[in-house]
Amino acid sequence: MDFAFSSDQDLLRETARNLLARECTPSVLRGHRDDPAAAAPLWNHLRDFSALGAGPTVDLCVFAEETGYVAAPGPFFATTALFQPVLGAIGSGLADRASTGEITGTVALAGADGFWTINKDRVKTFVLDADTVDVVALVEMSDGGGASVTLLEHPSARRVETIDSSRPVFEVDVTAGERIPVDADVVDALVARATVVLAAEMVGTARRLFDMSLQYAKDRRQFGVPIGSFQAIQHKLADMSLDLERAWSAVYYAAMALDADEPTAYRQRAVHVAKAAAGEAAKRAAKDGIQIHGGIGYTWEHDLHLFIRRAYASEALLGTTGWHHDRLGDLLFAKR
Amino acid sequence: MHLAWEPEDEAFRSELIAFLDEHAPSETRAQRDFAGEDAGEDLIPKWARDWQATLFDHGWMIPGYPPELGGRNCTPVQTLVYLEEMTSRGIPRSLHFPGYAIVAPSLLEFGNEDQKLLAPAAIRGDTIWCIGMSEPNAGSDLAALSTRADVHDDHFVVNGQKVWTSYATHSQMCCCYVRTNPDVAKHKGISLLIVPMDTPGIEVRPLRHISGSDGFAEVFFTDVVVPRENLVGGLDDGWRLTQGSLAHERAGLWVEGVARLEQSIDGLVELAKRRGVAADPIVRRRIAEGYQRAASLSALGYKGFTSFAQGTSAPEHSYMKMATSELGKALYELGMEIQGPYGPVTDVDRGEEHGRWVNSFFVSFANTIAGGSSEIQRNIIAQRVLKLPRG
Repeated sequence: MDFAFSSDQDLLRETARNLLARECTPSVLRGHRDDPAAAAPLWNHLRDFSALGAGPTVDLCVFAEETGYVAAPGPFFATTALFQPVLGAIGSGLADRASTGEITGTVALAGADGFWTINKDRVKTFVLDADTVDVVALVEMSDGGGASVTLLEHPSARRVETIDSSRPVFEVDVTAGERIPVDADVVDALVARATVVLAAEMVGTARRLFDMSLQYAKDRRQFGVPIGSFQAIQHKLADMSLDLERAWSAVYYAAMALDADEPTAYRQRAVHVAKAAAGEAAKRAAKDGIQIHGGIGYTWEHDLHLFIRRAYASEALLGTTGWHHDRLGDLLFAKR
Repeated sequence: MHLAWEPEDEAFRSELIAFLDEHAPSETRAQRDFAGEDAGEDLIPKWARDWQATLFDHGWMIPGYPPELGGRNCTPVQTLVYLEEMTSRGIPRSLHFPGYAIVAPSLLEFGNEDQKLLAPAAIRGDTIWCIGMSEPNAGSDLAALSTRADVHDDHFVVNGQKVWTSYATHSQMCCCYVRTNPDVAKHKGISLLIVPMDTPGIEVRPLRHISGSDGFAEVFFTDVVVPRENLVGGLDDGWRLTQGSLAHERAGLWVEGVARLEQSIDGLVELAKRRGVAADPIVRRRIAEGYQRAASLSALGYKGFTSFAQGTSAPEHSYMKMATSELGKALYELGMEIQGPYGPVTDVDRGEEHGRWVNSFFVSFANTIAGGSSEIQRNIIAQRVLKLPRG
C-alpha cells in the first residue's frame, strides 16, 4: 500500500501544472466561450500528452487533475479517456494515430436518459466536443445483447446548450456504418475508467475553487480583520478541505484498483465511491466558495463562475453523485 | 502508487492471524457491535485483563515496541497491518486505553529512569491509570486548568478538582496536570505529577455516562501530598507533555474508527433486510452515502499514513478524528431511523439487537466531544493546515 507518486508522476504533474497555468488562463476560457477556435493553441500543446490515454490510469488521473484545475477546453478528455480505449477495444488501426495526437475523437454512448449505459436509443446524448473532433465512435447495443462500435468521421451533431461552455455537449443521430462487435463488459470497464479520470478532473476543479476561496478569505478584510479569522469561515473551509482530501484519496484508490486489476466487484465499488466523493467535494467547493466570496463571486467579471460551471457540468456527466450512490446501494444489497 | 502490501508485511499478518486464532478469547468477539468505551456493567472484566497480559507476553500488545514493552520491534507499516487486522475482527487490545496509549509513552519519552520503570506494567494492564486533565472550568481550553500544586522542598501539595476522568474509579495511579506557577502565561505554569490514587485527600465520585453506565468520574484533591520525585519532566514544563501519545501509532488511530464505520454499514444492510425496507430507495441511497464516505475516509487514512511513513507531517489525523466520529454518529442514528417506531426500543425481546443502534448512538455522542471536540478539530485544520489567521 503506497499512496506516494513516483518521481516520474511528480514530474508529469509539475509539467502539466506549469504548461496549463501558462496556456489555459481564464481569458482563454472566456474566449473559447464565444469562439471554439480560441482553444486550438492549447490543443497543440496537449496533443503531445495523448499517449497517456493508453497508459496507466493513475498517470492519466495525474494529468486530468491539472486540466480540471484550469477547466481546460478541448478534446483531451474525450480523446484520451473515452475514444482511445474504444479504439483499443475494437483493435482499430486508428489507435496509434490517436495516441500520438494526430487524430482526435469522442464517444457517443448515452441514450435519452443521459446515463452511460449501453442502449438501443436512436439519438446519442452528451457527446463531448463533437464539433471539433475528427471521429465519433458510436456505441450501440446489438440485437444479441452485446455491443457494437461504428466509427463516424465528422457526423452532423446538434449542440445542446449547458451552463458550461468549456466542454460543449452534442446530440448525434445513429447512422448506418460498419458495426464492429465489442464485448459489453469491455465497454462498461472503459466507461468506469473514464469515470475515474473525470473524477480526478473534478478534484482539480474543486481544488481551484477551494484555493481561490482560501486566498480570498486571507485577503478580504471586514470589521478590520481578514474574514478568514472568523470561525464561521474557518469551519466552512475546513469542511471543504476535508471533502477535497477524501475525494482525492478515493480517486487515486480507484485508479490504483483499476491498474492492479482487482476483482470486478471491488473495482466497481471503488469507481462509484470516487465519482460520488468527487461530486460531493466539487459541489461543496462551488457553493461554499461563492458564499465565502460574497457579492464579488456573483459577478460575471469574477472568474469563480467559470469553475463553478465546470464543476456542476462534470458532476452530472458519466453518472451523477446520486446515481453512483444508487449503484453502490445495489452492490451493497446484492451481496450474500 | 500501488495497493498491495509487501510480502514480508503479509507474512507478518499471517503470523498475527495464527496467534489470534489460537489465543483470542470468545469475549473479544462480543465487543465488535458496539461503539466502544461502553463495556457494560463490569468496566474492566477479568477476561480483558488476561487478554491484555497475553498480548503483552507474546509481543502483540504494542508491536512497534521492543519485547520488554510488549512488542516485537515491527515497522510502521506492520503496525498499520496489525491495527487493520485487529479492528476488522473487532478484537480490542485493552478496555482501558489511558495506561498503554498515553501514560506509558509519555513516561518513556519524558520520565526519569525510575519513572520509565512504570511503563511495562501500564502497558500490560497490571497497573490501571487515569489521566487528570479536564476540569469544570478547563475543557477545550485545557491550559486554563486551576488545580493547584504548591511547591515545597521535597513535595507538592495538591488542591483542586478534575472531571470526566475516565477509569478513575478503578485506577491505582493518576497522571495529573496541575498549576505550579499562577504568575506566568497559562501554558507556562503547568506541571505533570504522578499521583497514587490511595494518597490521603483524594476522593473519587463516579459520574454516570449518558448511556447509563459508570465510566468516568470527578476526582477531588484536598491537601494531597505528592513527593517531589513524582514530577514528570521539568517544573512548569507540563504543557508540551499533554501532546504525548503513541506517536508511532498516531498515524494509524483512524483504522479503528474506519473499521467501526464499515461494521456499521454491514449492520445497516442486514438491519434494512430484516425490517423489510431493503427495497426502499431512500434507505439504500443513505446507506450507500455512508459507505462512500467511510470508503473515501479509509483511502484518506492510507494516504496520510504514506506521508507519515515517509517522515512528512500528516495533517490527516485531525480530519480523520473529526470525520469518523461525526459519520459514526450519523450511521447509528440511521440505524434507529430504519427501525421507525422501534428506534428507541431497548427491550431485549422486542427491539433489534438488544438496542444496539440506539445504545451505540448515545455512546457515540462522546466521540465528537472527547479528545478534542469536532469544533476544536476544525479550528486546528483551519489554523495549522490551511494557515488561516487566529480569530
